[in-house]
Amino acid sequence: MMYAIRVEDLTKRYNGLLALDKSNFHVKQGSVFGLLGPNGAGKTTTIRILTGLTRPSEGTATVMGYDVTNEAVKAKQMVGVVPETSNVYEEMTALENLVFAAELYGVPRAERRNRARGLLEAFGLLDRAGGRVADFSRGMRRRLTIACALIHRPELLFLDEPTTGLDVQSARQLRNHVSELRDEGVTVFLTTHYIEEADQLCDTVAMINQGRIAALDSPENLKASVTGTRVVEVVFSGHPVEGELKGIQGVMEVHRLGDRYRLTVGGEADIVGGLIDYARKGGLRVVTLNTLKTSLEDAFIRITGLAPEEAHEEKEQPGQGRAQ
Amino acid sequence: MGWGWLYKALYIARKDIRVYYLKAPNLTYGLLMPVALYLAFGITGQMNPVTLVSGLVSLVILFGTMSIEAVAVVMEKQTGTIDRLMAAPITPLTLVLGKAFAGTFLGPLVAASVLLPLMIYSGASIASPLLVFLAILISSFTFSALGTLVSSYARWVPEAQMYSNLLRFPMAFLAGTFIPLSSMPSQIQIVARLLPLTYTVEALRSAIESTTVTFTYVVDLWALILFSAASVIASTWTLNRSRL
Repeated sequence: MMYAIRVEDLTKRYNGLLALDKSNFHVKQGSVFGLLGPNGAGKTTTIRILTGLTRPSEGTATVMGYDVTNEAVKAKQMVGVVPETSNVYEEMTALENLVFAAELYGVPRAERRNRARGLLEAFGLLDRAGGRVADFSRGMRRRLTIACALIHRPELLFLDEPTTGLDVQSARQLRNHVSELRDEGVTVFLTTHYIEEADQLCDTVAMINQGRIAALDSPENLKASVTGTRVVEVVFSGHPVEGELKGIQGVMEVHRLGDRYRLTVGGEADIVGGLIDYARKGGLRVVTLNTLKTSLEDAFIRITGLAPEEAHEEKEQPGQGRAQ
Repeated sequence: MGWGWLYKALYIARKDIRVYYLKAPNLTYGLLMPVALYLAFGITGQMNPVTLVSGLVSLVILFGTMSIEAVAVVMEKQTGTIDRLMAAPITPLTLVLGKAFAGTFLGPLVAASVLLPLMIYSGASIASPLLVFLAILISSFTFSALGTLVSSYARWVPEAQMYSNLLRFPMAFLAGTFIPLSSMPSQIQIVARLLPLTYTVEALRSAIESTTVTFTYVVDLWALILFSAASVIASTWTLNRSRL
């Protein structure tokens, strides 16, 4: 089995604070690997170590066979990096940014402009090739940043929160680009706090929380790992007492999401009958009742121990459109 | 080991010239500040043309290169573009050299823009133009490297400007730019020997006056090379530390 990334007991401390705690995972070549977790979980620290921007406190990591600490320049030559914040030069044009990236990565002089134009076309920026980046929208800058990371045809692409801050259309385009890259055999390592994004794109997902890898498997296997429970969402005509809902037979967890109550139910308990009985006794009426299919979000919540409200806060940042 | 690192350093330098240097406020500040200092403190009507030319050209190199270089790295830190460079297959040393080369190319240009009108104005003639050019080139690298060190250490632009001014203004007054070093008190002369600008002024004076390479000139260039090496090593160490 060929691995693009091998991470062994990777640990990072910042001024005594543990940002990454003995992380272990391998990424298969040609796959899309997602590191999923809330803000501050250790995703960016992981990607910064793997791209040579930060040194690990302990442990080892190899990228395309090269140690990221001792063979950093060789490792960097093999990868493309798209950081969380687009970092193209605003004072330069799109074409100049791409040519500069090609120069840094040692692309032969004769090929630089052709490759740059090809990428501008692929990312829908050819008509703005000579335009200053300062005049570009956020989505255009994001696409240009990704194009810059691909100029030397890397075998491995790191994407740190690739769709954060993008509108729905730009996020969808970007996800399509990631799928195309996988089809071309490029290994993609992406961090995201958008759970659906990881579900849609990734062959393997690692869930990270408080610096520790909490689970590592395919999205389908992660969802299957939390079967044996059902998730029911109910809306009452009034306000029930959460503690009383937990008393209904079979209810394991209760979380309030606006006017909805999401109940995790174990075993074969008759939850529908239980809820209707509870409503009748409390003088309430069941307005809606839905049984939800187990999602990656459910798996994420169960595995990380985060409340759904926190998962939703992570997922739905204010002012940020989400593509479904 | 090939020359790939040198090409990459030169690409970084070209990018820096395009992005940071060729902006009117930067160029005019590099030229106007030293001229203003001279008008305020130096022009007494009795100044020797050699002192005038060597002093003012030294100040122009110092301000023209260091004022921009001192913010070039820190601006990349603020915009996040430093990560683009640090994630590229180059060593921190290549990055530091690229930054310093940008000022090195610009230094002779800003120096020439002052030197030529000054020669006409003062009637001074240059005994060894090639030696003057060499002194300007090496000094430009020295002050660019010093600016890179300041910029690597600082976290934001005002901090970099503060460190830069702490280095430049004492140098401007103590390095023999306005008054020949020999006329200064002995304690000041000792302090002046710790300042790279002293060696620039002295080397320029020697090259303006003498047609041959003097011992002083050689010592001055070596002193500037040592200051440059120390600045480059310290900048590289500082950038490496930022990855811890």
